[in-house]
Formats: sequence, structure tokens, C-alpha cells
Amino acid sequence: MPYLVFALRDLLAKKGRTIGLAAAVAFAVMTVVTLAVTSSGLEQSAAAVISVGKADFTVAQKNAADLLSSTIDRGEQARVAQVPGVASTVGVLLEIQQVNADNPAFVEIGIAPQDLSRFGVTVLAGHAYSPTARSECMLGWRAASNLGLHVGSQFKANGTINTVTGIYSTGNSFGDAAAMFPLPAVQGYNRVPGIASLVFVKVDHGANIASVERTITYRLPELTTIRTAAQFGRADRNLIYLKAAVTGSTILAVLIGAIIVGNTMLLSVFERTRELGLLRAIGWSRRRIVGLIMTEGFAVAFAGTAVGVGLSFLVSSALERVPALVGILHTNFTPGAFWRALLTALAMSLIGGLYPAVRAAFLAPLKALSYE
Amino acid sequence: MSEDPTRPEAPEGAPPAIELCGVAKRYSGGVSALHEVNLVVGSGEFVALSGPSGCGKSTLLHLVAALDRPSEGVVKVNGRDLAHIHDLSRFRRLEVGLVFQLHNLLPRISVVANVEIAMYGTHRNGAARRARARELLDEVDLAGQAERLPTQLSGGERQRVAIARSLANDPSVLLADEPTGNLDAEAARRMMALFGRLRDRGMTVLLVTHDLGLAAMADRLERIEAGRIVTAGRPERPDEAGAARRALARDSAP
Repeated sequence: MPYLVFALRDLLAKKGRTIGLAAAVAFAVMTVVTLAVTSSGLEQSAAAVISVGKADFTVAQKNAADLLSSTIDRGEQARVAQVPGVASTVGVLLEIQQVNADNPAFVEIGIAPQDLSRFGVTVLAGHAYSPTARSECMLGWRAASNLGLHVGSQFKANGTINTVTGIYSTGNSFGDAAAMFPLPAVQGYNRVPGIASLVFVKVDHGANIASVERTITYRLPELTTIRTAAQFGRADRNLIYLKAAVTGSTILAVLIGAIIVGNTMLLSVFERTRELGLLRAIGWSRRRIVGLIMTEGFAVAFAGTAVGVGLSFLVSSALERVPALVGILHTNFTPGAFWRALLTALAMSLIGGLYPAVRAAFLAPLKALSYE
Repeated sequence: MSEDPTRPEAPEGAPPAIELCGVAKRYSGGVSALHEVNLVVGSGEFVALSGPSGCGKSTLLHLVAALDRPSEGVVKVNGRDLAHIHDLSRFRRLEVGLVFQLHNLLPRISVVANVEIAMYGTHRNGAARRARARELLDEVDLAGQAERLPTQLSGGERQRVAIARSLANDPSVLLADEPTGNLDAEAARRMMALFGRLRDRGMTVLLVTHDLGLAAMADRLERIEAGRIVTAGRPERPDEAGAARRALARDSAP
């Protein structure tokens, strides 16, 4: 009998218990992975927003609660544009509006029409709005699809009825589930004249990007620059809190899972006291006994990982289809999410299985053999 | 049996297979199981330990098997003081074979797998383990039962599987603790014949039994009472023991 088959026979013999244990691990993995891919999706969406427009980097208010709270006034925008090495800047105002019950957090982007192409916008149908229009807009193709609107439709937002002049694509789901308006219209409606949320910066050919970033943050210490998703927390503290919450939830899930795994495996060790005593008596080393118990734990971990990741796919797909979350929640299944799932399950099995395994290894053979 | 000229002789100057010197065993609460026990079992000898229940014979066997430690004295196997052996698991795995009164087979795996489990962690790979297990089952006349579950075997057959398991790693010493305790007379007789054959191959056998008739089939009988060895030497041969020996000799004949 191959050793692995021998090591796993108890799991196979007690199918109900094994399935229950794997289900507990799978549930924890599902929770952790769903939170992680959601957080990663938000980060990716935000990162996508800051990276559109072929910009070399984005400027935002330092330590803003989130991207939408970032405010950069006209003077600051001008000072950014004057920094040596800066070739061009695009100011964008981001706002959230409730369009209807199904779209409680609809993203509006205020941007001047002459900046659209630099912002990475491709008009798919119709045409762009005029620079000073007060009641024109363009819809991202996802938003148009979700709202059932097309070129020429009327779209109520910002307290006015707007004519949809065009349907656009930005190549990222965050932007495509939004609507774009002339910048002054959004500033006016929100009573923030001259304010942008973000400034997208393109540097001169051959200029040192990092050097330009340093100059901006030196001259304008209330601002920060973002070039990668990892730097995003500089301007979005909510994302930092969210990631901290995901980490906390992961630790909690691991601990709760470990308690369940440990409890079940301890019961299994008690039930097999005589068997373990026999194995020790015929020469099995303590290390091999630990290996035997941990092999069972890791097998459950692998099964739980596979099922948990599958469940996470289903749950996050379902969440993405919830109307209230369409355009807001985008999951991002990266290889990192699978590693996180596997590490979560392995950590649960390792922490939960260690005590039962060590206890089994230190059973006195004679006492164990006489155990009833 | 001891006069068999074909039996392998221990090399000259070789240490005794088992040696106990001034061994005492006390349990917590002040209960003493053994007092000042001295015993020498030569290599290739078949020795029976007999005595009433609770006299300490199983305790002595457990000390030799390194399943327990003496409170006083020295226990040596093949000249090595067990107190100085760092890896007692390896010692139990490779140097001694253990047979218990209760066969202690794992009920949910096959007979051949029960023998194989003693070989995990040795140099043998899966195929070699399986081949060795089948060879041993053939040796104990259970070749045809290899794929059955222990629950499908008789008591005597299960005990023979346990013996096959104890021989898996070619130990030089076989320790058997009341292996015939739950067997009928015929099964017990066959079991003793098997021990006789092992002894004839040069294996040292230390058998614990309270059955004097069976003990008489050994080369030497040591009697323990109240934790002390009270007699030593060749077993007396009561009539029934003589009959059993004759039957054993007949069974053991090629």
C-alpha cells in the first residue's frame, strides 16, 4: 500500500467528517479569497483610472480619505504644469451620484472634451460633448448597457436632463461603467469651481519621471504622486483600511479554521490512540507520526482550497451581478489570490494540526495500546 | 529442539542477544513490578518466561522491547545498552520484532498492508515492501489471505499476520507477549511450531506465556514470581509438554 494511501485512509474511511472539515476550510478560503479579489479589483480599478490617458503618473491630494475626496485647485494644477519636465497635464473631477435604485453609486467623470483622447477615451458611437455644454454627456459602454441607453437618449444626472451625445470605451471596467461630462458642468453642479480630483501628468521625452515626481512633491507637499497600484494608498486611505480589513479577516479566518481543524483532528487522534500506539511500538518515529497526521491535514487543506476557490468564483460572480454593485465591484482573480487561498488553507491545517500531531507523536506506546 | 545440528551458531565471542543486569521496575505509587532481575539469553536461543498473572513477565518483555525504561539496572540487546540508544524507534523498527497477546492489526486495511506498515521509513520502496510482505505471509502459511481484511481471519491467522509483521525488517530478536493467550490448543501449537522454525533460523525468541505446557517447548524456561526470577534452566517436561514437543517436532520436520 503506498504510504500516501495509508496516510489518507482515515480521511477516506470517515467521509462525512472529512467533507465537513474540508467544507469548513473551503468556507474560510472562500471568504478570504473573495475579500482579497474584491480588494484587488478595487485597487485594479483605481489603478486603471490613474493609468488611463497614457499619463506617466497621476497627482492627487496627499492622505485623502479616498480618490473621490482628493481636491486639487486651479493654482496647484498650474504649479504642477510649471514643473520642469512636465509636458502636459489633464485635470479630472470624479463624483458619485445615485442615478436610480439599481445604480446607487454611479461614477461621473468631469473632463474637458479636448483632453478625452489623452485620457484614453475612444468614442464608439456618436460624438463628444461640447466644452461648455450644461446638459450633454457621454456614457461608457457598460453604463449604457446597464442603463439601457444609447446615443440620443436622455440621461438624468446632476439634477438636469442630459442628452447622451456618445458612447465611449476606456478599456477598463471602472471607466466604462461611468459617464463623462464637461468639466465645468460637474464643477458647477458640485459647487467646486476650478477643482480637480486628479491631475494626469505626461513628462517630456527623455525626462526622468522619478525626478519630476520628486520635484512636484517637494514644491507641493500637500500633493502626492502615484505611478503604481502599490503607491495608491498615498492618496486613498480607505483602500489602506480595506486592505488592513482583508488582512485582519484572513487572520481571523485562519484562526477560526485552525480551531475547527484542530478540534476535528484531535478527535481523530483520540479515536486512533491504539493504532498510533501500535505504530510507535513497531518502530514508527515521532517525526513519522507527526507527518502522518499533518498529511491528513494538508490533504484537507488542498481539497478545501480547490473547493473554496471555486466557491469564491461563484460568489464574486454573483456579487458582480447585484445591480447595486454593478460598476463598483470588480473582482480580480490574480495568481496571488490562489496563493493566498492555498496559504490560508495550509496555515489553518498547520496551526490546527500541529497540536494533535505532536500529541499523537508523544503518546506512550504501552499506554496507548491499552487505551479502550 | 536445541540439539538441531543445522541451526546457525552465534559467532564466537558475540554478546548475548538479551542481557538484564540488576533490573528493577517501579511504577508511580510505589508499585514494584520487577526486583533485581538478572537474565541472559544467548543469540539463537528460544526462552520462555512463565509465571502467574501480574508477576512482571510482560513488564520484563516491555523493557527489552524499549517500550519502557527500567527504574534500576541495565538492559542490553545484542550488547547495546538500551539506555544509551538515542533512536529507540529505529531500534524497535529494525532490531526487535514484537508480537502482542492482542494481534493489534489495523482492521480497515488488508492483511498484506498490515505487514507493510512496519516497513514504512525503511530503505524498501513500495514494490519491495509488498514483495517482502507477501514473502512473510507465505512463510506463515497465509499467502492466500493477503488481500483479505483482518476481520475475515480466525484468531490464529491474525496472530500469524502479527508475527509476519514483526519479522518484516529481519530483526534478530523476537519478543512475544502471550501470543497464544487467545488461541485454541491447535492454533497455539502451530504458533509454537512457527517460533521453533524461527529459532532454527538463528533468531532469538523470548516468549512470555503462563502456559507451562507451551513453555516446555522452548530451549529454556525462566519462571518469574512476584517480580523475581525464581528458577532458571531447561524446562521440566511434564507428560503433556512432552506430547506437545513431539507434535512440534513432527510439524517442524521438513
